[in-house]
Amino acid sequence: MTLALVGGTHRTVPLALRERLAFTADQAAEALERFRDRFPGREGVLLSTCNRVEFYAAGEADAAAPPHDELVSFLAECRGLDAQALAPVLGRERDEAVARHLFGVAAGLDSMVLGEPQILAQVKQAWALAQDSRTTGPLTAGMFQAALRTAKRVAAETALGRERVSIPSVAVADFASGVFERFDDKRVLLVGAGKMAAETLRYLREAGARDVVIVNRTASRATDLASRLDARPAEFADLERELVAAELVVSTTGSSEPVVSLDLFDRAAAHREGRPLVVLDLAVPRDFDPAIGTRPGVWLYCVDDLAAACEANRRRRQREIPQALAIVEEETRRFMGDVHHRTTAPVIEQLRAGWNETGSAELERLFRRLPHLAAGDREEIRQAFERYAAKMLHPPLASLRNESHAGPPHGLLDALRRLFNLQE
Amino acid sequence: MAPFLSGISIVCFAASYAVALACEASRLVFRSGVRGAVMVTFAAAGLVAHTLFLGWRAVSSGTVPLSSPFDWYLLAAWLLAAGYLWLTIANPRTPVGLFLLPVVLALVGAASLASREPFLHDAASRFWGRIHGGFHLVWSVSVVLGAIAGLMWLIQAGRLARKQAPLQGFRMPSLERLAHVTARTPAIAAWAAAAGFVSGIVLNAVNRRRGLIETVPWTDPVVLRMAAVVAWLIVADWMTSTARRRPDGGRTTAWLALVSLAVMAGSILWGLFGSTQHGRPAAAAPAMRVEATP
Repeated sequence: MTLALVGGTHRTVPLALRERLAFTADQAAEALERFRDRFPGREGVLLSTCNRVEFYAAGEADAAAPPHDELVSFLAECRGLDAQALAPVLGRERDEAVARHLFGVAAGLDSMVLGEPQILAQVKQAWALAQDSRTTGPLTAGMFQAALRTAKRVAAETALGRERVSIPSVAVADFASGVFERFDDKRVLLVGAGKMAAETLRYLREAGARDVVIVNRTASRATDLASRLDARPAEFADLERELVAAELVVSTTGSSEPVVSLDLFDRAAAHREGRPLVVLDLAVPRDFDPAIGTRPGVWLYCVDDLAAACEANRRRRQREIPQALAIVEEETRRFMGDVHHRTTAPVIEQLRAGWNETGSAELERLFRRLPHLAAGDREEIRQAFERYAAKMLHPPLASLRNESHAGPPHGLLDALRRLFNLQE
Repeated sequence: MAPFLSGISIVCFAASYAVALACEASRLVFRSGVRGAVMVTFAAAGLVAHTLFLGWRAVSSGTVPLSSPFDWYLLAAWLLAAGYLWLTIANPRTPVGLFLLPVVLALVGAASLASREPFLHDAASRFWGRIHGGFHLVWSVSVVLGAIAGLMWLIQAGRLARKQAPLQGFRMPSLERLAHVTARTPAIAAWAAAAGFVSGIVLNAVNRRRGLIETVPWTDPVVLRMAAVVAWLIVADWMTSTARRRPDGGRTTAWLALVSLAVMAGSILWGLFGSTQHGRPAAAAPAMRVEATP
């Protein structure tokens, strides 16, 4: 049994090369078909995301996983690249290290944003595509199932993916949601049409926000963005009135001066009837006068505030790494134990067959000598023989299983073959 | 069955609540996949033991849950413990037990110090005694819930003002939700306390007229302190309703809820250690039991 991996990530492959190496879903399906034709009897799974392209191959003893060089050439051919240029930047792993790597990838430990959950869905998609392309088998099935189990354990037993690390997600989940219980009855005001506004609005929509108004100095941009984001455009001149109606403001203009001065805000606040207001000022320079944050009932957060919270969350994620790695290590040992145990299957089969054959012969002889035995009695005796054989076989099989945890149990297998005269 | 039920003591459920509280506190220290289940199991076990204890006491001594100061405290603790269990199951990530369970344990502790002697009244007073004790239970529980929501509001607002991400295992409900609770409990507490006070006056008047039991003098400290408590709760409710439309209304409401709790705690301590004729049985009174308040 062999496992092999070649692949590159954002850490090892330059972006320009990574773009050319990346596979679309159709290209990946085509590549897997080529793999099946070129390496019959082998198993293969291709994982291609924005940040990584990895090919996992596996094979049994009679059809071992292809050597790394052949896999590199195969990937290069699939994408029309020069294998010589590709070889130095692609990582290579073998056997146990392959499983360990995949488990870490699935758990988000190898991601650009540590602990991000999207990679798990991508691993599942890669596995499903390989299944559809009929390039999977018992080895990759076991390995990918173990990878999914590892990812679930890391998510449940550590806080690796729990803390948010992007500014829009932190702004909504850690701050706006700390003030408001629900967003479906709140007015959201987007000031400006920056990219961060759209991203923040995506999280607000997920949280339930429905009533969204966009104001922008350029009215046409506000209208464009409003139509794209299913929102309502408003005149920039109406900003004060919109501030009165809003509960949450996301501001992302490119203005060099504050868009909302303290005076403007105070005029609006006088008509707000004490309702709380969350302001996510994501513009640099800031759109809201910082003094507005000192007004009662106003929760004002600028980019630096949110970035500091993101950084704190990132540090918390880092602290979870040792525990996550311990889970990966535990699952790797468990998986490799299972894999090594698989290599003992032919010997166990021969051993069982030999015992059953001998037992059946003895039973036949016994039944010939005792022809008066009733059918029920014969069945009882047959079951007793089977139980005896199973009990006698249990200790050597348990020893084989235990030995498999430390590696392929070649010594024990050899001893069993010699003791019981089994064939290779 | 009877030996088993009679073997349940205050320590049984107090210990279960204490373990649940320790589990809640451990949220701040480490993560655990099984802690939620352990916490709910201990809280539920405590609540079951608590229920059996009150039930057995009612059956074996013929008293009903509000018959003595001891029973009154335990019933208040039972209501809060049941509330804790419900809130924890509904919101497993909110550490509400860190705030509720200490109050539950404090009430159980107060029960252990309080008199177990039933209030003695004649049958005609039973109706008013039940109303009196019931209303006192409602306002007390309302004040506790309001104060806990107020404290959580202040903690959450402090975190948001400091612009910090939530602590691990210490994710508070939103200000909006907490403000909703702190804004409503003062009205419930004020009305229930006023009703409890008035029903107490009626109860006292009935007792005086019948002369079957030693009555409470109108200048008794318990009458004066309850009048003060009711007055405070009415003022607090009025202040809460006027503060709601101000930008800093949430903070004002939260503080008012905490002050109400302090007033209630002072009133309870006074009841435990002060001198009063309230609830003192007459030596020759017939042994009839009725619900009342400590």
